[in-house]
This record gives sequence, C-alpha cells and structure tokens, in this order.
Amino acid sequence: MKKTMYLIITVLTLVGMLLAACAPTAEPTEAPEVAVTTAPPAAAAPTITPIPTSTIAPPQNPNATKITFWHSMGGDLGGKAIPLMANEFNASQQDCFVEPIFQGSYDDALNKLKAGLQSMDTPAVMQLYDIGTRLMVDLKVITPVQDFIDKEGYDVSDLEPNVLAYYTVDGKQVSMPFNSSTPMLYYNKDMFREAGLDPEKPPRTFAEVQDYARKLTKKDADGKVVVSGISISIYGWFFEQLLAVSGGYYVDNNNGRDALATKATFNSPEGVAVLEWWKAMSDEGLMGNYGRKNADVRTAFYAEQTAMFIDSTAVLRGAVDTIGGKFEMGTAFLPRPNEEAYQTSGTVIGGGSLWIINNRPQEEQDCGWEFIKFQASPKEQAYWHTMSGYFPIVKAAYDEPLATEWRAQYPQFATAVDQLHEAPNNRVTNGGLIGVFPSARQLIETAIEEVLAGKATPQEALDNAATAVTQAIEEYNISMGLE
Amino acid sequence: MKQPFVTRRIVSHALQYLILIVAALAVIYPVWSAFNISMMSDVEIGAYPPRLIPSAIRLENFQRALQQAPLMRYLTNSVVQSLLVMVGQLITACLAAYAFAFIDFKGRNFFFLVFLSTMMIPWEATIIPNYLTIQRLGWTDTFQGLAVPFMATGFGTFLLRQFFLKIPRELQDAATIDGCNSLRFLLTIVLPLARPALGTLAVYSFLQTYNQYLWPLLITNDPNMRTVQIGIALLQDEERLMINTVMAGVTMILLPTLTLFVVSNRQLIRGLTAGAVKG
Repeated sequence: MKKTMYLIITVLTLVGMLLAACAPTAEPTEAPEVAVTTAPPAAAAPTITPIPTSTIAPPQNPNATKITFWHSMGGDLGGKAIPLMANEFNASQQDCFVEPIFQGSYDDALNKLKAGLQSMDTPAVMQLYDIGTRLMVDLKVITPVQDFIDKEGYDVSDLEPNVLAYYTVDGKQVSMPFNSSTPMLYYNKDMFREAGLDPEKPPRTFAEVQDYARKLTKKDADGKVVVSGISISIYGWFFEQLLAVSGGYYVDNNNGRDALATKATFNSPEGVAVLEWWKAMSDEGLMGNYGRKNADVRTAFYAEQTAMFIDSTAVLRGAVDTIGGKFEMGTAFLPRPNEEAYQTSGTVIGGGSLWIINNRPQEEQDCGWEFIKFQASPKEQAYWHTMSGYFPIVKAAYDEPLATEWRAQYPQFATAVDQLHEAPNNRVTNGGLIGVFPSARQLIETAIEEVLAGKATPQEALDNAATAVTQAIEEYNISMGLE
Repeated sequence: MKQPFVTRRIVSHALQYLILIVAALAVIYPVWSAFNISMMSDVEIGAYPPRLIPSAIRLENFQRALQQAPLMRYLTNSVVQSLLVMVGQLITACLAAYAFAFIDFKGRNFFFLVFLSTMMIPWEATIIPNYLTIQRLGWTDTFQGLAVPFMATGFGTFLLRQFFLKIPRELQDAATIDGCNSLRFLLTIVLPLARPALGTLAVYSFLQTYNQYLWPLLITNDPNMRTVQIGIALLQDEERLMINTVMAGVTMILLPTLTLFVVSNRQLIRGLTAGAVKG
C-alpha cells in the first residue's frame, strides 16, 4: 500500500517536473485573496548590478513628459540600436523623455496591450508587425498618425509612397512605418562560378530559378543531394509575396483596400502557379525543405548547404556578419513568373510600424508623435538601415554619409532599395488588409506542406485554405461589428 | 550453481549501468551542447558538418549577451522571485496538507476536493484576473507582484497530504499524549519525515517560477524588475538569430537551477533514508 502510494507520488512528481520543464505556464494558481494573507513582507531589492551599454540615460529635464515605447526587437537591434536611438531623441530636446521597453514577440506585445487596456498599462508608442494593421484599427485603440500629420502640416512627400500606402486604411495614414522590409533572393556567388553561371546575373523569373537550381544542385555518387539549388522555408509571408509579384490579390475588394475584405482570393491561377513552381522544384530534388523556420534555411545557406534562398531584406546585416569572408554573397530581386511582371507588380511591404495609443493623455501622444518623427528622420533611418537591412522609409536617408559608405562597402544593400523603388504602387503591391492575418498565414503554411508532401494538388490545398480564411474573415468582421 | 548467478548479477548490473549512462547522456547532452555553442564564433556556428566543440575558449558571446540584456540583474530577480514562491508554497502547502491529513473537521473531504479542483483550472484562465488584481493593488514592477499570486498551490497541498497520510496516526497520538500541540508536531515530527516530499515540492515550485515568461512580461515594465526568460527572449533576434549569444545567455541562467539541483539532490536522497519509520 505504502509502496503504491509512493509510486503514485513519484510518478506525479516526475510528471510535474516534466511539466515544469516543458510548459512553464501549467501552474494552477489560487485566488489572489487567499495568497495575500500568507504573503511575507516584500523582499528588499537586491544590490543593483550595473547594466551595460543598453541603458537609457536619465532625463535631463525632470519635468519632461515621460512616455514609454513598446518594441519587439531582440538581439543587437533591441539591445543596442533602439536604446541608442532613444537616447539620441532624449538628448535632442527637453520636453519629452522616451523609455523603450522590450515586450517579447509582436504577439506577446499585442497580448500585453489587450490586457493592459482596462488598467491603462499602455505605451504612448507601440511597434507592431505589418499584419496587425487591420486589427489595430478595428480594436479602436489608436490615434491615426494622420491626425498629427494634418495638425502640423507635416511633409510626407519625402517618405516612400509604397511604404506609406501599406499603412493607409480608409484613406488615412494610421501608423508610421518604421522597420520596413521586403523579401529578396540571396545567392552564393562562389557556387554560381563553380556551376558556370554568371554571378552578376542572378535568375529573374520562376523558370530561370528552376534552371539555375538544376545547375547548382550537387549530388553525390548515390544520387543523394549534397547541396540544394534553392531552399525556401514554408512561410506564409513568402507565398503572399510571390503571389503579389505574380499580380494576384490575397483577398477581394482589391486586397481589402477599396472596401472591407470579405473573401480570400489567393486560390486564383496566380496563387496556384506559385505553388506549382514550388512543388516542381521540390519534386525534382532541387529544393531543400527545412520546414517552417526561416532561421534553419539561413543556417543551411551559411553552411553552404544551399546555393540560393529567399528571405527578408532585414536579415542582410546578419548574413553579412555571419558569412564573414567564407564566400561571396549576392542579392537579387524576388523572382517573378515572367519578365513582364517586373513592370506591372512588385513586392509588398513587410516589417513593422509605430502606433500611437489613444488612451494616453494628449501630451503623451504629442510626445509620441515627436518620437515617431524623430525615428523617421533621415539620420536615424540611415543608422537603422545599416544596422539591420530594413530599408529607410525616407528617401533622404540614402544620402546620409553612413548609408552611402555602407552601400559602397556592401552593394547587396542596394537590392532592397532598388526593389522597393521599382515596384509600382498599386492595390496588389499594397498588400492584403485583413484582421486575421496570423491565422491565415498558418493555413497557407499547412497548404504548402500538403502540396509538398503530395497530399493535395496546389489547387485543392489553396481552395481549402481559402475557404477557411474566408470563414475566419467573416467571423472577424462580425465580431468587430464591421458589417 | 554459484558461477552463473554471479555472472547474471554482473550482466544485470552492467545492463543497469548502461541504461543509466544512456539516460545520463540524454540529459546532459543539451546542457553540454549549449555550453559548447556558447563559446563558438559566428562562423563556427554555421559550419558544416556542424562542430561539436569550439575551436577556442571564447568569452565574447557572454559579453555580447550581457550587453544585449542585463542578464545579471534579471538573474537576481528570477532567483528572488523563485525563492519567494518556493518558501510561500512550502509554508501554505505544509499547513494546508497538515490540516487535511491530521485534523478531523467537518467538510474535510469537500474542501480537499475544492483544493484539488484548482488544479483543473487552466492557468491561462486566471492570468487576466490576477493581472487586474495586481494592477489594482499597485504591485506592478514589484517582487510581491511577481511572487504572491503563486504562493498557494493545490498541487503542492495534494502532494504533501498524500505523503503525510503515510505517517502513522499513532505518532500523532503519542505526541499528543506527551503534550505536543499540532504546530510542534508538524515542525518537529512531520516535517523531518516528509523531507523528500518537501524537497520535491521545493524544486518543482522553484523551476516552475524560474521558467515563467508571460506573467513577468505582463506585470513588469521596469527593466530592473524583469526576469531571465524575458532576457533570453531579448537575445533572440528573429532576423538575425545568433545562436551562440543565446546559448551564452542560457548557460548563464542555468547556474541557479543547476545549483538547486545539486543541493536538493542530497536532500532528496537523505530524506529517503532518514524518513524511514519502523512498521
């Protein structure tokens, strides 16, 4: 009896420890009232270890309006670049003091914002991903930056029109772009040379990519692929982009830009053609399948396991640093179905933008606007561009000495900029505008997996995904009271 | 007849050790690997075939991790938070479990079931109410806010009660006859006997708290009050994942948990033998 009891306890404990190890959120909690009565006095704060470089300098003017800026940038961008930019802003004037706070991933930050709305635990300025645009507007938690632009007659003519257009809803500039990126093709020039391809002439069309990949794929004596010609991670964003450069709409009503989107339309011939191309390369053994994680494909490229890959311009700085002098890397435009498509369509803006939250006092929102303007200034955008690969949202940034020097040293950065400037500004390149983008992306990713695994044809898989996304859009529109 | 028996014992011992070694390797490998990767250069992490051992002892990644996130401060915060929760849970769970195991009162089973039922409530369902309570108390950015909501535990109470039930009621009777009150009986007799269970609960609650991510993220904004898991998230750049820097951070934040393991391991084993009662 004792033994069995002990066994049960041991098993339970082990399960508990496993839970503790795998799922940090599995803790059942009591009502706080119960806990309060047993609370020991607050612990004294332990001695403060000095925080290195990422620290924010204290305000010079104690009466300055203090605002917080929530961001989701990790690594050097969040640890160094953002604090540095905030310090520069604080030093540039006396009235406002901004404190940047990292709030986890974009999804974490969005959850925290939703939780904090009732209790005013909100920032004056918040960074959020591109695909949260419709949701932020529909949640009615923001003051459109258009209000500030109109109030002071802020000149937007130097800002990139395509970038602004992405964050325009119902004719209003709702947020200010900040970290903007598009996807492009990265390739290994050394491998191009080895395969007898001109490293200065990267492939431009789907057919060319397939042809190049065929030449770049290396197989060993047993026919096993040693180096893949190309790798594309199964990421919904890449499908959206390939659809856009093919001239296809993601949702109806011209991508939800002319009127509220009600239906997914990515199962069009354009969308099907994208997946057919993708599948054809996979079936032929030209493409490495590393699953859904972009970082895995990048690692494969850095390790010279794949000759080409598609990823955001934002990874460029990291790629340059990681590759070092190991091989020569080139960048090219995202491939299009044919040459004509270069005239009619282009990539959609990705990345994130800055939002002003409307439940903060007016003076905080005003300071938020000052900070946003500062972040959009040529000098800051040039710095941001060279730190990451996100392209500047303001044209004057290209003429900043930092940016020109940088491009001279790393010509790969010019591709991102050229691709943006050559893209026409139309409803296709403005990108889809729906509130359920995160789940739509997952549905597309499942569809791609089904196609690659041969479980469904591109048409079937996309039809299924479109039905599910349409339903999600309908539910969203009803729940937000938009119909 | 003797020979085969000895051989069989050697074989069975060898087999046991083999299994233990394999299990130990499976457990140690990720830690060992994290430690190695933390000392690799940016080029080495992308090498193919993958390198298992860094080419040199490098500390740049640790430096870089400390520059990107104030990990030492986060570490202190996490340890303080976890210790508070651990002590809180031990106290509340001991007292509650004692009542359920040794004191006869009306509705005992009913209340015990109520306690157990809290284990069925998903943590996600309570996070927003807890957050609003802490907000209203003005406890954001404080250690109370980080620790108090987790100081009572249905699971811990259950664990300890089951263990206490194993302790013969005769011990209590004898102690009562000698004039020992409940609290003294709990402190001097029950707790020493329950060491393994207490150790288990302590380790469990510490790790559980140490691994929290969403709660500290929700109720803290002040970088001086944030905890290690947020620090690790801060090291991860979506676009530019430097796995060596992340692993340097992970290696640093592993230290308290490893220390806890070493300390509690002895406690757990000693408790198993010291707790032996005749009968």
